[in-house]
Amino acid sequence: MKAIRVSHAGGPEVLEVAEVPIPQVKSTEALVKVRVAGVNSIDAQFRDGRLRTPLPFIPGQEGAGIVSSVGPQVKSVKPGDRVAWSGTLGSYAEFIAVPEEHLVPVPASITDEQATAAMVHGLTAHYLVNDAHKLKTGETALIHAAAGGVGLLLVQLARAIGARVIGTVSSEEKGKLAREAGADEVIVFTRQDFEDEVKRLTDGKGVDVVYDGVGKATFDKNLNVMRLRGMLVLYGMSSGAVPPVDPAKLSEKGSLYMARTTLAHFTATREELLARTSALFSMIADGTLNLHIAKSYPLPDAPQAHKDMESRKLSGKFLLVP
Amino acid sequence: MKAIQVKHPGGPEALELVDLPVPQPKAGEAVVKLTASGVNFIDVYFREGRYKSPLPFVVGQEGAGVVTAVGSEVKSVKVGERVAWTGLQGAYAEYAAVAADRLVSIPSGVTDQQAAAAMLQGMTAHYLSHDTYPLKRGETALIHAAAGGVGLLLVQMAHNIGARVIATVSTDEKAKLAREAGADEVILYTQTDFEAETKRLTGDKGVNVVYDSVGKTTFEKGLNVLRPRGMMVLFGGSSGAVPPFDLIALSTKGSLYVTRPTLGAYIASREELVERSSSVFGMLAAGKLKLRIEHTYSLSDAQRAHRDLEGRKTTGKLLLLP
Repeated sequence: MKAIRVSHAGGPEVLEVAEVPIPQVKSTEALVKVRVAGVNSIDAQFRDGRLRTPLPFIPGQEGAGIVSSVGPQVKSVKPGDRVAWSGTLGSYAEFIAVPEEHLVPVPASITDEQATAAMVHGLTAHYLVNDAHKLKTGETALIHAAAGGVGLLLVQLARAIGARVIGTVSSEEKGKLAREAGADEVIVFTRQDFEDEVKRLTDGKGVDVVYDGVGKATFDKNLNVMRLRGMLVLYGMSSGAVPPVDPAKLSEKGSLYMARTTLAHFTATREELLARTSALFSMIADGTLNLHIAKSYPLPDAPQAHKDMESRKLSGKFLLVP
Repeated sequence: MKAIQVKHPGGPEALELVDLPVPQPKAGEAVVKLTASGVNFIDVYFREGRYKSPLPFVVGQEGAGVVTAVGSEVKSVKVGERVAWTGLQGAYAEYAAVAADRLVSIPSGVTDQQAAAAMLQGMTAHYLSHDTYPLKRGETALIHAAAGGVGLLLVQMAHNIGARVIATVSTDEKAKLAREAGADEVILYTQTDFEAETKRLTGDKGVNVVYDSVGKTTFEKGLNVLRPRGMMVLFGGSSGAVPPFDLIALSTKGSLYVTRPTLGAYIASREELVERSSSVFGMLAAGKLKLRIEHTYSLSDAQRAHRDLEGRKTTGKLLLLP
């Protein structure tokens, strides 16, 4: 089968097309014919060595496709079932062996592209507004990178809950997307200081919660725009790691809370994974949640997909089609 | 009137017994004739100059007594009413002028001494267990310094909620007190490593929340005993300040939360102050919360009270009786 393989860490050019054997399934795995693979920033971190995995490896954490065979102990899926997954390395390929507990069934109302986009980005947006900080009607949320892959979904989910959404974006075009997704206020942070602007927009009170996947560049100012007992949920660090934090800052700035979350801890049980995906699939099917596909690429164009994702010019989800 | 004043910050001898005029109420103030003043560690910090107050000042952050005069704009209390307060300097005196919106009335089932003793530590235990991390029946809490002033109240409230309480203490006598207050498990941290022991007691699952007023010596290990998505509530630093910490620890250890609350943020509005003090008074009147008022001093013995508090010879609450 064809797959994208990384033999040494580096830039997008290390994503090479290779002919490799179709994987053998273990007893608790299913072999899936991949129809769509999702491209995520974590893939670039594995590619360039910021995150480590033994070499060579096939990148890609998520996708959707059709079960072609199953190991003897697999009970919940059978050949022919449409499924999606996340958290399994090796998705940039024609076939992948996925542990049964990572697979979720995809209903007929959902396309493969939608199912893939609902995995890492959708699940992340879902746990952020429902669990990391349970957003309530009438609360105000500051969402950084509001036109990003997670951001556009987060804005929609926050709006569906009835929260007021303030989004930050880097350009006017992205501002337009964030508004279309439902942001009540949009701050173009390249032109306006987001701290001043959030204070102005909240009459000096600040926001109930900040959802931040940016990290280093936004951290200090975040602490100044939260109301008393507000919550900072840090779910990524696209601008770099936040330097060590003095906990006394949290009391000085108003008895604040801070969390540093990762998706795995919010899909740790099978029940939780299924509950989240089925909630997302219903919202996609009934139109509450619109997925923005930035671009689809044929599998061999994986290097271009990474280049485009890293240049941040396009918004939404990048997909590979094997 | 007699009062204890600090003219030059320093040791216990800096507490001088002086004669001052009885204060007159400003428009928004009430004058209270004190019957009991709470002695707290924060008083020591102000006396030493670690916390700043304009000099000279009358010491004392909490008290109870009877209203003897009110300013022209005061509506919430009247002359003759029994009241208590915390968070305003000047309680080591026969009379104090207090902002009326910080006074709460004392119900008939609660004595002045109980009220004075419960304002700071009682409301602290209350906000920690009911708001900062609202404990639920069946959850497990680790409470450090469980035989301390706040600790003993926190153990009782957590126990009354129906949570399992794991307590850390330094001596066998303190262990006995923690058990009497309702701790399910007590760890003598001077003999047993609390990290290993908490893991053992929870079958390696960890606790939902750590309430930590110790700080420097316990913080790091506290993060290791939290279950995924658990919360570290750091509300003091009796062993020293926690140094800046790397946020990545929060994600690798399980998408953890950290907060550094102060009482002020949890009684910021009059409504919340009244609700919280009423809840605590209700618990006292119903016998569900027991205070240990074992050390009372005359106003002129304030120096001795501070020496006893700092020498950690006492357990339970110290009161001055003006």
